[in-house]
Amino acid sequence: MSEGFRALLEELRPRCVEIVAQYEDSRSALLPLTHLFQERQGFVSRDAMRAVAEMLALSPAVVESTVSFYTLFFRRPVGKYVLQVCRGLACTINGAEEIMAHLRERLGIGHLETTADGLFSYEEVECLAACDRASCMQVNLEFVYHLTPQGIDDMLAAMRGGTYATAPMAQTQVPARTWTVVQDAQVSHGTKSAGAQGQSHPNNASGLGDRSGVVMLDRIVANEGLFRGRTLERLANAEPTLPKIVDEEAEAAR
Amino acid sequence: MPVVKVLTEGIGEANLRDIATYEERGGYVQLRRAFAEMSQRDVLDLCDASGLRGRGGAGFPTGRKWSFLPGNDKPRYLVCNCDEAEPGTFKDHMLIEETPHLVLEGMLLGAYGIGSHHAFIYIRGEFKRGYEIFSEAVRQARAAGYIGKNLFGTGYDLEVTVHRGAGAYICGEETALLNSLEGKRGEPRLKPPFPAVAGLYGMPTVVNNVETLAYLVPILKRGSQWFASVGTERSKGYKIVSISGHVRKPGNYEVPLGTPVRELLEIAGGLRPGRTLAAIQPGGGSSACIFEEQLDLPYDYESLAKAGTMLGSGAVVVMDDTTDFVKAAYNLVRFYAHESCGQCTPCREGGHWLETVLERFVHGRGLQSDIEMLHKVSAEITGLNLCPLGDSIEPFLASVLKRFPEQFEARVLKETVPA
Repeated sequence: MSEGFRALLEELRPRCVEIVAQYEDSRSALLPLTHLFQERQGFVSRDAMRAVAEMLALSPAVVESTVSFYTLFFRRPVGKYVLQVCRGLACTINGAEEIMAHLRERLGIGHLETTADGLFSYEEVECLAACDRASCMQVNLEFVYHLTPQGIDDMLAAMRGGTYATAPMAQTQVPARTWTVVQDAQVSHGTKSAGAQGQSHPNNASGLGDRSGVVMLDRIVANEGLFRGRTLERLANAEPTLPKIVDEEAEAAR
Repeated sequence: MPVVKVLTEGIGEANLRDIATYEERGGYVQLRRAFAEMSQRDVLDLCDASGLRGRGGAGFPTGRKWSFLPGNDKPRYLVCNCDEAEPGTFKDHMLIEETPHLVLEGMLLGAYGIGSHHAFIYIRGEFKRGYEIFSEAVRQARAAGYIGKNLFGTGYDLEVTVHRGAGAYICGEETALLNSLEGKRGEPRLKPPFPAVAGLYGMPTVVNNVETLAYLVPILKRGSQWFASVGTERSKGYKIVSISGHVRKPGNYEVPLGTPVRELLEIAGGLRPGRTLAAIQPGGGSSACIFEEQLDLPYDYESLAKAGTMLGSGAVVVMDDTTDFVKAAYNLVRFYAHESCGQCTPCREGGHWLETVLERFVHGRGLQSDIEMLHKVSAEITGLNLCPLGDSIEPFLASVLKRFPEQFEARVLKETVPA
């Protein structure tokens, strides 16, 4: 536990006690306490999870398991402005795709990524329940409605200039490129093969993550000779030939 | 036009977040009256007689739900479900932000009706603003003596806790919500036992939607007959319908149940000029589409169920002829695949595979055999899971596959099919 965190913990402890007292069972305070620490630290640090575990008499593993279930808890540092654009159906049919493409282009990052300067994190999220004001997004959980490319540009300029209405999130550590844990495996080891599970990237279908086989199919079409006799044939003949299973015991009995 | 203002009364005209304004307009009168004149049984009977059904999605009769509570001495809990995340729904979002005291009064009435001394409201993590507004409403109500010990001198104690989620659609399912409220992963529980018998902390619990509880206030004020006289035989009363998509005036509109879908479309300003209707999703992301020829369907639970779809949470998403239904199907399937909690294999794996296959179609790389596979896999997910999330994948996908097969056929990779 770092010195800085110890001070924060002592500061927040009375508030934590109040929160825990609201519930018949102390474990119910797990989410509210995690929110409290995330608000101050900008993410849910290991120290925070350990502190929550200690206060609620739980194992840190239980706390981490629970925290990992919820998408609004960031277990790695994120940008000062977390931009979460709605990708729900009502927004999508009202131009959300153009808005998302515009934002990705302006920020130079994709889904679940943070800019190098640590200012912005970008995520495409599920329906935000504001379909009458589509397309919409949240900036640090404050709604922004009726998005337009011009509005986005003005918003980003205000954030960069420090004049944006919504306050930036606390940032106690420098964020990495992404805050999702799945991709950390690749960052630290770099050993996963192309197309491996968990490497899919919605903004880069032709990159590593060819989960649905789009790139593979393109290669087959473009370069027939390479795959002739194997894959192409398999794809063309939907009926696979399977070895016949013989029940030996039943045969013997007969 | 059948638009009414019952729950939505005063929204946009007065600052209903302020308890003094709310009280001036007759707020908390019903709560006082209930404590002064009515027994808990009276509240329950009134709710039963009104024919009020759950407004969150399942449409279960509220009075019946309450009556399942066992008659024992265990503590009971009322939980108000504000984890609104069904694609296309945005009514609870409005209610807690614009008229939080009405929701709170409904909660307090409900808690009194079932004999609960501790009520919870579970607010979706994304509604940070809504959480702050509602917490402030609770503070004001506590200061005014509507929450706390010995209410109105009757000796009845009633506490309210505002709880915030952290981003998980599945927590709208009542047992997942209870797990989340207990500080666990939001995974649905095996039923039975139902929450009425063993819910929060293993105690008898009722989980009701925000809109359902809010309707208790006007029902108490005007009587169960007033409510029951509106609507159809089995779908009584009013409903807030969230209309969005390709309409000119999207928004929340409160209407009597049984209003024809065609009128709903008119209320929302109709389609944009020069466009024609392709499909309407009448009850949120989990519902099958209805089409042009079904516009005269009355918007009530039975009529929509008979037409093979559902009223759900009252989210009407209108799609015109510019809609790409391959992308729409991919969008909703991806949503369910993303929000699956992962406990049940059919939902976890099936949703993931459907998403993968539909992604191929979006890129124009579908295979001929995929179309049949989409039907087969989505049907095989249905009915095999602990909760209804997995079952929600099929209806929309199946209905657009059937109605717009040419859009899917057009995305099949022709090169792989031998001449």
